[in-house]
Formats: sequence, C-alpha cells, structure tokens
Amino acid sequence: MDIKRNYYEDIELFKSNTILVWSILFLIFLAILPWLVMKYHLLGLSVYIVNLITVHAIVAVGLNILVGFTGQISMGHAGFFAIGAFTTVIFVLNVGLPFYLALPLGGFISSIFGFLLGLPALRLKGPYLAIATLGFGMAVTTTIKHLEFFGGRMGLQAPKLYLFGTPMKDIHFYYMIMIIAVIMVIGAVKLIKTRVGRAFIAIRDSDIAAEAMGVNLTYYKTLAFAVSAFYTGVAGGLYAFILGFINPESFHLIMSITFLAMVVVGGLGSIMGSIAGATLMTYLDIKLQAIQDISLIGPALVTFSQKYMSVAGISNIAVIVYGLIMILIVLFEPLGIFGFWIRTKRYWKTWPF
Amino acid sequence: MVKKNLIFVGLLVFTFFISAPASAQAVRGVTDTEILIGQWGPQTGPAAPWGAVARGTDLLVKIINEEGGIHGRKLKYFLRDDSYMPAKTKAIAKEFVEQIGVFAVVGGVGVATGMTARDYLMENKVPWFSPVTGVYEWIHPIQKHLFAMYPLYDDEAFNLTGYLYEKLGFKKIAMFYQNDDYGKQGVMGVERYLLKHKIKLVEKVSAEVTDRDLSTHALKLKNSGAEAVIMWTMPTHAALILAETAKIGFKPQWATSNTLSDSALMMGITRGLWTGMINSNFAELPDSNHPLMVKYREAHKKFAPQERWGVFYYAGMAFAEPFVEGVRRAGRNLTTESWVKAMETMKDFQGIGLPVTYAGLKDRQGGKHVFYGKVKPDGNIERLTEWIKITK
Repeated sequence: MDIKRNYYEDIELFKSNTILVWSILFLIFLAILPWLVMKYHLLGLSVYIVNLITVHAIVAVGLNILVGFTGQISMGHAGFFAIGAFTTVIFVLNVGLPFYLALPLGGFISSIFGFLLGLPALRLKGPYLAIATLGFGMAVTTTIKHLEFFGGRMGLQAPKLYLFGTPMKDIHFYYMIMIIAVIMVIGAVKLIKTRVGRAFIAIRDSDIAAEAMGVNLTYYKTLAFAVSAFYTGVAGGLYAFILGFINPESFHLIMSITFLAMVVVGGLGSIMGSIAGATLMTYLDIKLQAIQDISLIGPALVTFSQKYMSVAGISNIAVIVYGLIMILIVLFEPLGIFGFWIRTKRYWKTWPF
Repeated sequence: MVKKNLIFVGLLVFTFFISAPASAQAVRGVTDTEILIGQWGPQTGPAAPWGAVARGTDLLVKIINEEGGIHGRKLKYFLRDDSYMPAKTKAIAKEFVEQIGVFAVVGGVGVATGMTARDYLMENKVPWFSPVTGVYEWIHPIQKHLFAMYPLYDDEAFNLTGYLYEKLGFKKIAMFYQNDDYGKQGVMGVERYLLKHKIKLVEKVSAEVTDRDLSTHALKLKNSGAEAVIMWTMPTHAALILAETAKIGFKPQWATSNTLSDSALMMGITRGLWTGMINSNFAELPDSNHPLMVKYREAHKKFAPQERWGVFYYAGMAFAEPFVEGVRRAGRNLTTESWVKAMETMKDFQGIGLPVTYAGLKDRQGGKHVFYGKVKPDGNIERLTEWIKITK
C-alpha cells in the first residue's frame, strides 16, 4: 500500500484518492464556514475570531518549520510578527503601495531579519538559542517603540482596505486570509516533502550527521529561519489589517511563548498539528470565559472563584482550565493534537479490532 | 466503512445546528424588560489592577436593578476579560455586537485595546460611553456615538503645574516621567503651561518602563534643586523614584496625576513615602460623606464584600453613572438616537465623579474637571480644592 516507487510519487500532495476527497470536502467546508458562523454562531465563533485563528495558524505553520522540522527553537516570533505587521502597514500608509504588494514585501523584510537571526543560530543550540531569539523579540518591540516612524509607543492605525470601492468587511478578509493560508500551508507541505524539507529534518535529527551527508548547515539553518520568518511576517501583515490598529506593546514575550505553545500542543513536526494547535489555543484563549454564561454552572464557578481565589472572577477559572488543557495534552500525548489524530485514525481504520 | 463515514458527517452537521440563532429586535440590546450593556477590562495579565473598574460597574448595575431598574427595564451587564490584548478586545467587541447584541459599551480600560474596537463600534452605531483613559483618540475625530468623560491627561498636567506654580508658589519645578505615550502627554501639558509663563522645567528626567535602577535619575532631580517634582509614571516607577530620592535625602513637594490617585495602594507599595503627595482626583474620595458615596459603600458591603473599596473600583461606577442618567432621560422609548439626544443635552450632571457636560456634536469630551488632594500620613487624602475646570 505505502510502497513508493519513485521520488515524485513520494512528494505527491495527495497520497490517495481518499485524502484528495477529504481535502476537497475540507475546502468546501472552509468556503461555507463564514456563512455557518454568521448564521448560527457556531460554537460562539465570529468571522473575526476565525480570521484570527487562521492568522495564528499561518504563524504556527511557519514556526513549526523552524522548531518542529529543523529543530531550532525560537522564542522571538512575536518580533517577526511585529516586523511583518508594522512594515506592511508602513508600506501601505507611507509608501502608498497596494496591499497585495505590501503584504509579501512585509513578509520578505521579516525573512531578511529571519536570515540575520539565523546567523547566530549556527553557533547556538537549545537554551542558548532560546535566549538569543528571546532577546531578538524584545529588541524588535523596543526599537519600534522608540521610532516615531513606526508611530512610537502609540502605535499605528492600519488604513481601511477597499474591495471594488467598498470597505472590506470581516467576511472579505476571511476569504482573502483563507486563500493565502491555504496556499502557504500547501507550500509548507511541499517544502517539507522535497529536498529542502529533508535537509531540515536531517539537521533536526543530527546536524553533524547531516553535514557529513553533504547538507550545507549554514545555508539550510538560515533558510529555515528565513522561511519561518516569512510565514510569520505575512501573518503579521494580515493581523495588522484585521485588527485595524497595532502598537508595539501588544507584541510581547507572552505572544512568542503562545506561538510556541501552539506548535507544541498541536504537534511538533506536523503541519496539520500546527493548524489544530493554533485553532484550539486561540479559540480557548478568547472563548473560555464564556463558560460563565452557561446556566447554573457558570454563576457557581464565578462565585467559587470570587470566594476562594481572587476578585477577578471567571478569569481565574479560565486561565486554570487553559493551562490544564495544555498540560494534559502534552502529558498524555507528546505528539500533541496530531498524536490524537493519528490514534483516532488508526482506531477508525482497524475498527472493530 | 460507508456507514461510519455517514455517522461522521451526521455528527458534523449536528454540531452546526446546536447553537440557536439570535432573535431579531427593534432596538439592539433593548427588550421589554432588559437593557444589555457590555464592558471589557483586563482581569488578568499586566494591567490586571485596572480590572477593578469593570467590576465596579457591575456593582452599579446591581444597585440600579435592586431599585427596580430604569423605566421598567433592568440592566444586564456583560463583563469580558481582554487581558489587555488588543486582538482579544476586538473579538469581545464583535461578540458584544454580533452575538450578545448589546445596546451600548460602557467604560473599557486601555488605549490600544480600545482603538481596535473604536471604528468597528462606530461603524455599527453602537453607543460607547467613557473609555477609561484621558487621551485625544476618543474625541479626535469626533464620533457621534462615542462620549468621552475621563479628564484629558494633557489638560490635567497643564492645570496641575498651574496649581503648583500659582497657588502653592513653587517656582522651581522638575518633571519625572515614563518614556512612553502616557508620560509624554504629561510632559506636553506641563511644558505647555510653563511656556505660557516663559519659564522652563529645572530638570526633565525620563525613565524607560523596564528601568529598575533609578538612582541616577534621583540624583539628577536632587542636583536640579527643584522645589516641586511632577511625576507621570506607573505605580512601580513612582515607588522606585520615591525610595531613591528618600535615600539621598531629597524631599521636594511631589505631585502626580489621577492615575495614581489610589492612595491606599500607593501608600502600601511606597511604605509610607507617599505621604504629602499632591494629586488630582476624578471622583469623590473613598471616605467621602457624599450621599451617593455613602449609599454605594453600603451596597459594596452587601453585594461585593470581596472587593477592596479603592478609587479604581468605584471609578467603574463614576464612569457609568452619566450613561445610566442618559438612559433615564431617554425615557421608556429607548433607542440609540434618543439616548444620544439625551446625552447631548446633558449639563453639569454629577454623580460621584467629575461633572459631565456635553454640547451637541461639537463637544464629546464631557469631563473637564478634577480636584486636588494631599495624602495624609494615614493614607487618606485631604481635599484641597473644589472641582476645578481644566479643559476649556
């Protein structure tokens, strides 16, 4: 079944017709999703939240290329996210470029910084690299804060985007972001399957062995950083426009850590896992406090929290549940959500055995 | 295999239909028996201390509902935690409008957080009363449905300098501020005043938000020979600079903005060095005998004994009172239009906060007053002045 006869068969996007059919079904689902969300408020979602999830998914996929596939840690992705966001807005606002040019340019500038950050990564590993990237992330926001050009600490208001003369609404953003996301995800899948991706994986498994086999470490490590930064930068540009307003303060360390957590919870070294991780984490982060609206349980939890924890009310419970879900996933399924998926699939296929 | 797939698809379809569609109403958020309002506020994260504002509003809602509501309608209040993250604030604003369907948004701490929601709320004609920050973003440009109340930082700094210079006779004034937008608005106001009187600050010292060693800053202030120092910082820096200046024996008259007017809290974190601080206030003092304050304090004991009775807690009431008054004046026939009209004619309305006056579409900065107080050794504030007009 799974025998590959040549290279091209191995890098095929759809391994079987079943996968092809399901992928098409999934795309159809994505196409009608905003309609479902608007009409039925499915799971309390709004199109805006779906947009935010999609943007985070692009970041998670980009970060996973670096962390999950190349084995280089980054705690500074909020920095790339900020670079993408600010440069895209500046290109539209000050330079007057159309959005469709500004966005890839923002990603490109972000990837240049990714390349630069990749250079010290050649010599640093593990916790040392974590510290270096962490410093990078903080340096970016501090720099932006002090440059009036970037709006200083006050931030920038992203100009409105127009589609055929009418201002774009969430639903238009949805289709734009989703098309970009689908292209970028397919790009990532292809990248990982082909020569470059194999080099990344070889570096992750053992960089010395990889070098011995002819993988150019300098080239591929910096490339991994650049590609990852490009994904994050593009996502940052989209983020700026769905938010409408950005300020350096919001691209903080916690954001970098949240991105990393999305990748780990979703599953290191899995593209679909990153998407699942980004979806779950973003959704829970925003919607978990809605448990206070459930009748009986909600008010009881609020009272409990106010009495035994702190005056913040339901947020105490939400934060604990959020953390607990993360811990439990990582504890019981080191492969993250992707691991659950594999198990479910296996169970499904071999049922009733 | 086919059967299993069918079950799977069936499950998917089922999940689509479990959430009920929102019902249509004549006026969003107003039913025969209820008025829905919402507020975001940081209950967790770096700005969590300001989260008390949103909980204070909850107390006002409880008081009003206990008294039977407004024109037969009770208020239903939705508090959401945005953790001071703009992306979350916007999600909350959308939830308020598209899912809950609130009549209005009241309060909301934070500039960047509010800015992500401002245009969205205005485009959907959702009334927004009193964002809890004193910046120009809320009134430039003027928005029909956005009513600001919090005194402007710039004007506040301008007037505070005048108070020190003219009333108290301090001629050598220095400034210590945080190097960010908030601190710079303070500097702007102070220098605007001094420029008018053709004098200069004897020293201007700024600190980065991340700075933790302020000994050189303190030394600079001391060497300037300033008689009074105005500080425009967050609580941490206020405590640090007071500790450093006390160490080197520099004891000028300190003065600061209303964002640090929670004297009980400041007294605690400065270990008593806060004594003698002159600061402006936007609401009655915690131990005030104002009849409304007495009433609210009793309600606080009854409904929310777990909360500390600090100024930022009852600020949540102060910054919601004019909204409620507007709803009252709009009458039983409450619509966005009738509320806006009622607000626009509001003149010198006062609850426990500063007096509020709006004038048509020309003026959306309702709060124009503060009063000054001096911190006593026991942590309470001694009131120095009546309400003073700071914004023209």
